Amino acid sequence: MDLLGFYPLFYVPHFGSAWLMGLTGAIHIMASHTSVGAALLFAFLAYKAQKENRTDLYDYMKRYGMFLLIFSYVIGSITGPGIWYTATAASPRGISALIHNFVWVWATEWVFFVYEVLGVFALIYFIDKIDRKTHLKLTYTFAIASVGTLALIIGIISFMMWPGTEAYYTTGSASDAFFGINTFPHMFLRIGFMIMMSGIIGMIISSAMRKENKELSEELTQKMGWVSLLGGFVTVFFFMWYVNTLPLNAHTLLGMQKDAIVMNRIILAILFSIYFSIAIIKPQWVTRTLAITMMLVIGIVGVWPGEKLRETMRKPWVAGQYVYSDQIIGRDVPGKGIKEETSRLAEKGLLKLDPWIPDRLRTITPENKLEVGKLLTRIACSNCHSLEKDGLYRPLMPLAGPMGEEGIKDYMKNVIGTGSIPYMPKISLPDEEYDAMAAYIASQAK
Amino acid sequence: MDATFINAMKDAAGVPFYPVVFQGLYVLTWALHAAFVLLALGSMGLSIYGSTRQKSDPYWKILTPHLIMTGKISISVLIVLGVAPLLFTQVIYDSGWYVANTLSGAWVFIFIYALIIGYTMYYWYQYANKKGSSSNTLIGIVSFAILVFCGVLMHNFAVEAISPTQWMDWYAPNGVVDNSGWNIHIDLIRLGFMVSLMIPVTGIFMQNYSRFLSTRQDFEPKYLEFVKNLGTKMAVIGLIISAALFAVWMLKENLLLHPLSLATVASVVILLMLAISNKNSYLTTGVLVIVALLISGVRELIRYNIMSGIGYDLYGYHMNLEWETIAMFLLTFVVLGFTGIAFILTMAWKVGKTEGVYTATEGSAVSRLANTSLAIFVLWIVVYFGWGMVALFKNTL
Repeated sequence: MDLLGFYPLFYVPHFGSAWLMGLTGAIHIMASHTSVGAALLFAFLAYKAQKENRTDLYDYMKRYGMFLLIFSYVIGSITGPGIWYTATAASPRGISALIHNFVWVWATEWVFFVYEVLGVFALIYFIDKIDRKTHLKLTYTFAIASVGTLALIIGIISFMMWPGTEAYYTTGSASDAFFGINTFPHMFLRIGFMIMMSGIIGMIISSAMRKENKELSEELTQKMGWVSLLGGFVTVFFFMWYVNTLPLNAHTLLGMQKDAIVMNRIILAILFSIYFSIAIIKPQWVTRTLAITMMLVIGIVGVWPGEKLRETMRKPWVAGQYVYSDQIIGRDVPGKGIKEETSRLAEKGLLKLDPWIPDRLRTITPENKLEVGKLLTRIACSNCHSLEKDGLYRPLMPLAGPMGEEGIKDYMKNVIGTGSIPYMPKISLPDEEYDAMAAYIASQAK
Repeated sequence: MDATFINAMKDAAGVPFYPVVFQGLYVLTWALHAAFVLLALGSMGLSIYGSTRQKSDPYWKILTPHLIMTGKISISVLIVLGVAPLLFTQVIYDSGWYVANTLSGAWVFIFIYALIIGYTMYYWYQYANKKGSSSNTLIGIVSFAILVFCGVLMHNFAVEAISPTQWMDWYAPNGVVDNSGWNIHIDLIRLGFMVSLMIPVTGIFMQNYSRFLSTRQDFEPKYLEFVKNLGTKMAVIGLIISAALFAVWMLKENLLLHPLSLATVASVVILLMLAISNKNSYLTTGVLVIVALLISGVRELIRYNIMSGIGYDLYGYHMNLEWETIAMFLLTFVVLGFTGIAFILTMAWKVGKTEGVYTATEGSAVSRLANTSLAIFVLWIVVYFGWGMVALFKNTL
């Protein structure tokens, strides 16, 4: 029996399963980036505290550390595997491709994670219990371990966008897949953001200390303003380099939204430059409420659209430009012995090749045509589109509805079926499967 | 469900190393993960009892916050340790893992957010207990219930992953596809056995706690005696309950007389004797680790039997050897991991044994481990960038 390695489909009406992954991812980015940034900040503060004999800086580190435990080591360490879990439910073959290419990289990252988790408890709870020199060494190793986690994950998430060069496809090597032209700019862009986040969170902590120690609170708010400004500058600088290392399909999508993106980034840059300048010039103006509000602003207006954009720019692929967002393998990877699946699907169809189609739906009849159409549409389209009229995730029905049944079929066969749209997967299917899908979509779009 | 179906789901990229190695790593890391799951649940459960006693009992007043702290750190450790078996299972049993996740996609999402809420509430519980709030017990109970619920969900994923003959019925009952991801399936005996282990694990932990602090002058010997006796009682009663549930589970799986089950039973008997005598709790802990590895091995045996029974060819998985990244992992794991963890644990040991501030003098184990760890970390970063640049130059110039 000829079958392709598909998995059952998990579908969330209105939102789309990928949206769940995006939400978890955006939360994780805030928490994990703060964690790495804070680790670098701690190394700086511990150095300063030891050199200048500043015991008050240890108090600040302890407070910051307690916040970090919840923000990064509860929320961050759960949403980390959380992205993985939700990605598995939404795109099992996409995540499987990453796992099977990079398992040893992930396992290496795990070693760093274990060190980080044990290290953060030691770093915070041993502040008053070990000599300062040893504590300083601990903060240094903790900082490098945190940067190490970024260094290891960055090649994988860059590969999700594309391998960066053609070498991977011929060698199949994880090293060639990992170190693409996109990897280092992406890494430094994130380091910048991490430093900025550590400053933004640092201001929440320093502003909360005002009642007990006004002078220290303002000194630290000022320092955090500088840290954030530096981080922001690094982010913007490397963002420009990063954009130039993106693949063609990403540029096509980026071009479609360029004006809105540029405007959003300019507004954010101005807003946060003003905020950081206030922290430097008038630290007393930075209250805890303002600091928390600005953290939420960066999350909702900065990170969430940024991640959505990154996800959009990857289309039609989800991994290494060989796994399509609809879970079909769209190109050969000779180095790994991977064969593309679109031609087999064009010949035999999803109904024959997907092992998860119930037997009673494998043959289309007038009675089951709409039911088959619904299932095929979910399999082929739901990773990128809500299938309800009022869906929130690039709803399909308002886009397809005006075409009518024949128009939909024609579009699917001659546009999507030939892979003519750079940001949509090539979905070549037998005529009767297009018929069923078109009938279903038209019936729903009415 | 047949062999073609299940083998078709193997990833097209193949596995990057011998499947048996992933199997071994899975057994090892799952045992470590499970140990902290059990310690977290046990110490948390006991702390809730302690929170009701601490106002009238001075010993519980000391023990309860320590148990809460143990639970707090254990949850973090169990999460991070849980990443490794999760990784290795996806490499060699990808079909089981991904099918379970898609069949229960809605529960996957709930699991993540329930865990965040449960663990955050745990911090609240610690804070409320520290402040002497009257609602601390209630907060603890809610947090505990949520975390147990997360454990049940995780158990559900494991059960679904090893039930290939039922996958199609669960996905499309009576031929009607259900994409909602609301599947949940529990194996009560297996779950009961796993949960019961939290009692002996916590009992042996308390024996260790008592022994470790016995060198400290600031802990009253009577208090340590109280903790030791409580630990012994929990270890003994817990081991008897767990052994009975294990036997029922093995009977149900038709594995009661399998050498691995028998070895587990024999190890549990030795563990029981060591726990009763409590002459050296560190030795007892060593045997506990062996028992954990055996239980992990039994789980793997069950899975292997089920999957190979329907034709899944694990050892015939297409292989693409990845020497560069495996070298990176092995060197990082052995050199950096062992040295780094040894540094933190040695430091923690010394801090725990010291009243006041611990100073690592030049040449002491902690000082040498700190310097070596730092040097290895720096070297690792240098090698990483060097490797990256060579790979990039090779592929772009």
